[in-house]
Amino acid sequence: MIRIVFQRRKCIGCNACVEQAPAHWVMSQKDGKSYLRKSVKKGEYYVKHISAPECEENLRAARYCPARIIRVQTF
Amino acid sequence: MNGATGHMQLPNRVEILAPAGSFESLRAAVQAGADAVYFGVEQLNMRARSSNNFTVADLKKIAVIGRKNSLKTYLTLNTIVYNHDLALMKSIVRTAKECGINAVIAMDHAVIGYAAEVGLPVHLSTQANVTNIEAVKFYARFADLIVLSRELTLSQVAEICRQVAEQDVRGPSGDLVRIEVFAHGALCMAVSGKCYLSLHTHNASANRGACKQNCRRAYTVRDDEGNELKIDNEFIMSPKDLCTIGFLDRVLATGVSVLKIEGRSKGPDYVYETAACYREAAESIHDGSYGPEKVGAWMQRLEKVYNRGFWDGYYLGCELGEWTDAPGSKATERKTFIGLGLNYLGKIKVGEFKLQAGSLKVGDEVMVAGPTTGVARMRVTELRLDDSPVEAVERRGACFSMPSPVKIRSSDKLFKIEPV
Repeated sequence: MIRIVFQRRKCIGCNACVEQAPAHWVMSQKDGKSYLRKSVKKGEYYVKHISAPECEENLRAARYCPARIIRVQTF
Repeated sequence: MNGATGHMQLPNRVEILAPAGSFESLRAAVQAGADAVYFGVEQLNMRARSSNNFTVADLKKIAVIGRKNSLKTYLTLNTIVYNHDLALMKSIVRTAKECGINAVIAMDHAVIGYAAEVGLPVHLSTQANVTNIEAVKFYARFADLIVLSRELTLSQVAEICRQVAEQDVRGPSGDLVRIEVFAHGALCMAVSGKCYLSLHTHNASANRGACKQNCRRAYTVRDDEGNELKIDNEFIMSPKDLCTIGFLDRVLATGVSVLKIEGRSKGPDYVYETAACYREAAESIHDGSYGPEKVGAWMQRLEKVYNRGFWDGYYLGCELGEWTDAPGSKATERKTFIGLGLNYLGKIKVGEFKLQAGSLKVGDEVMVAGPTTGVARMRVTELRLDDSPVEAVERRGACFSMPSPVKIRSSDKLFKIEPV
C-alpha cells in the first residue's frame, strides 16, 4: 500500500508539485497553496492512497518540494 | 543641527522600522520605542518559510496593537506572485486595508496595482531594486515610500533624496515621496536579494521566501582530480551584517525618512536591542549628544544579539570582501530555553515558573519573552521551591518562583543568558 501525506499548512505555493504530477496536485485559486486531489484531511495532514504506477511522479513532487512537506510512504 | 551631521537638513524625526516575525517581537518593538514594524502573513512574503508567519486572521490584532502604541504597521507582500496567488494576495491586501494596516510593502505590479485600487498606501520593496531618481519618479505614481537598493553608497542615497525635494516628486498621498534605507541586519550576496542559489540546489526559491541560505555555508574548492585548494575563509559567499550605528549621523544627513532593521526571523531580544539602540542613536543625533562614547556602548549591546560580525555595507563605498568567518551568529551572549511562565503574584511582584530544561541558580541572568510580555531581562535575586528559599533549581518539572519586576504570564518563555 502506498500513500501520500501532505502537510498543507506549511505549503509556500511554489507550484513545483503540480508541474511534476498534475494528475494529483492542483494550485488552489482560493488560498494559493497546493491541494492534493481527492485526499482526506487528517488533522493538519492530507492523505491519499495511490497505486504503484502513480508512485514515481509523486516521488518527484516530493523531491522537488522546497518546503519538504510531501511524503510518499510505502507499507 | 549639530556639527557632526554635515550640511544637510535633518528630517524632523527619522522613523525606526523594526522587524516583527511574531507577537513577541511585535511587543519587543513597542517596548524599544520603534516607530513602525513590518511583518508578513501567510506565504506571500520573503520569510515564507523561515519565520513564524502571521495569518490573515492576525491582521486585526496587529493593527490594534499598532494603534494603541502609536506604532505604524507595514505588511510585507513582496514575493514573486503567480496567477494562483492572486486571490490570496487580494484577500490579504483587502483585509489589511479594512483592519487599518498602514501600508503594504510590495514589489510585484499586481500587488501595487491592487493596493492602489483599494486605497492601501504602497511602500516599494527593496526587491524592486530602485537605484536612481527616474525610477523613484516612475514608482512615485503608486508609492508614497521607496525602499532604495541596499547596494547604493551614501552619496548616491543623498543625491536621490536631494532630487526628490528639488524635483518635487510626490506620491499618491500628495506628500513628497519618502525614502527608506536598510540600517542594520543581514545582507545577502545577491543584488537586492534576487538570488537563485537556493533554487538551483534545493528547488527552493529565495524570491518566494524559501531561501536555504547556501551563501552562509562553508565551501571547499576542489579541482577535477580531487585536489583541494586552500582558501583563507571557507565562508566565501557570506557577507557580515550591516551596521550603520557608527555613522548614523551621515546616514540621516542624506535626508532619508525611514531606517529599516532587517530580521523577521530573529528573536524578540534582537528586535528589542536593535530598535532601542537605533532609536536612541537617532535621538542623540537630533539633540547633539551623538559621539564615539555612545556609539561604543550601542555596539556592545548590538554585539550581544544575533550577528555575523559587522561591516558598513556598501554605504561608504568600500570594496567588497567583508565576509564573515562563522557559520552562524557571533553574538556575545547565548540564550538557552529553560522553562515556562505559570503565574504572577502582583502584590509581592513574584513570578512562578516551571523548569523544563537545564538549571537556574541565584545570580544568573535571565530573559522572559512572550507575545504579551515582549522581552524583559532580569537577574535572579532569590529562588523559591515549595515556599522555601533555595540556591538553585535543577529538577526538571519543578515549579519555582522568583522576584520579577514585570508581569509573568503562562504564554511566557524563560531563557538563561550566558556569555558565549
